[in-house]
Amino acid sequence: MKITPATKASYGASPPFQLVPASRFTIEELTRAYNQTRVDYMVPMPMNVIRLTEYIHVYDVDLSYSLVALSSDQILGLGMLGIRPGRTWITRLGVLPVKRRQGVGRALMDTLLTNSETLQAQVTTLEVIKNNIPAYNLFVRTGFKDVGELLVLRRPPGPPPYTPIGEPDWVERAEALALLESRHIPQSWITETGSLANAEDILGLTLNLADGSRGWLVFQQQKFRMFSVSLSRLTLHTERGDALLLGRSLLAHLHERYPNLDTHTENIALDDPHLPAFFEMGYLESFRRIEMCRQLSHNHHG
Amino acid sequence: MTTILVVEDLPDNAELADRVLSSQGYEVLKASDAETGFQLAVERQPDLILVDLGLPDVDGQTLVGWMRRMPEFAHTPILAWTAWPEETAAKMVQAYGCNGYIRKPLTSIPQFMAQIAAYLR
Repeated sequence: MKITPATKASYGASPPFQLVPASRFTIEELTRAYNQTRVDYMVPMPMNVIRLTEYIHVYDVDLSYSLVALSSDQILGLGMLGIRPGRTWITRLGVLPVKRRQGVGRALMDTLLTNSETLQAQVTTLEVIKNNIPAYNLFVRTGFKDVGELLVLRRPPGPPPYTPIGEPDWVERAEALALLESRHIPQSWITETGSLANAEDILGLTLNLADGSRGWLVFQQQKFRMFSVSLSRLTLHTERGDALLLGRSLLAHLHERYPNLDTHTENIALDDPHLPAFFEMGYLESFRRIEMCRQLSHNHHG
Repeated sequence: MTTILVVEDLPDNAELADRVLSSQGYEVLKASDAETGFQLAVERQPDLILVDLGLPDVDGQTLVGWMRRMPEFAHTPILAWTAWPEETAAKMVQAYGCNGYIRKPLTSIPQFMAQIAAYLR
């Protein structure tokens, strides 16, 4: 049975606004609205229709539980909800710059939380760009607590700075996804196996070193109009041995094989033991996010 | 006539750059995404390229990387146009082969013009 997502009739700001399911809008309208809410961001991350469509698919965003704030046919803001069993993820939340501080963001958050409770989720998570203080404060006010810091990294094309050691075994998608399933460390929504399983062109490599260290790297070979343009969604895992040594070797093998590809990867935890290997390999920090979560109680509404 | 390609998805920013640069006698080409920008760059061989780092299809760093791999753009001044913090912008533009960067939002038109003119010398 389809559960009817919560919406609210109107809010007290002037002029009043309504929250309606995002599924009532076309992807073109949502893309335009999303981009307009972020024009003044330090890291605006605009999207086109293709990218937003892919985003909705990869991260299990359900537009019928996602919301648009509307006033006289003008979109004031929006917020999307990713749904997985027992959990939801609030994402793409934004309000037009001239419509902020009028309760729109708070109303979107409250109703996304209500929708999460309707779905019987036990927990909801989100990520906020570090130093976006107004958004962070809104999330604290709506009951979210910090989980940790996540880094977004970039590396320009180029060979690795040193020769990798060991003989890698390159694996195809099915085996790469099986490797991801073997992780027992909590992941952000973006780096969860569920997200990578929804993404195309996932590959991997495993590596055994002479000292007994063993680990793997899973990545996406991102395409643009059928051409490989970048590597992304890098996930490193050490099963045994020295994580830094393995990280260096796994990354060196990757960049030796794909020296002409740009690389961007999201949500590497600040305490990930492989992080120093990224920096040694020439990765640059683009920006940081703070992951936050909120437990949900099913007798709470709004 | 000196030609400047502006790759910027935000219409207000693109329009501002167009007006300011046109008023100085430059021919301005505009593209609102990386793919169109790349096509225009190949077809028109501009004298300078101003690239927003946040584009909706492929981001600005990737676009700059594409252009820098082509011999015809080896010596074309490419400037990033970004709101990123100074330290991040400086690291990114150096790593991706930009000649420099211009900060958003534009707070001084004369300074903007001086920066553009300096890279065209």
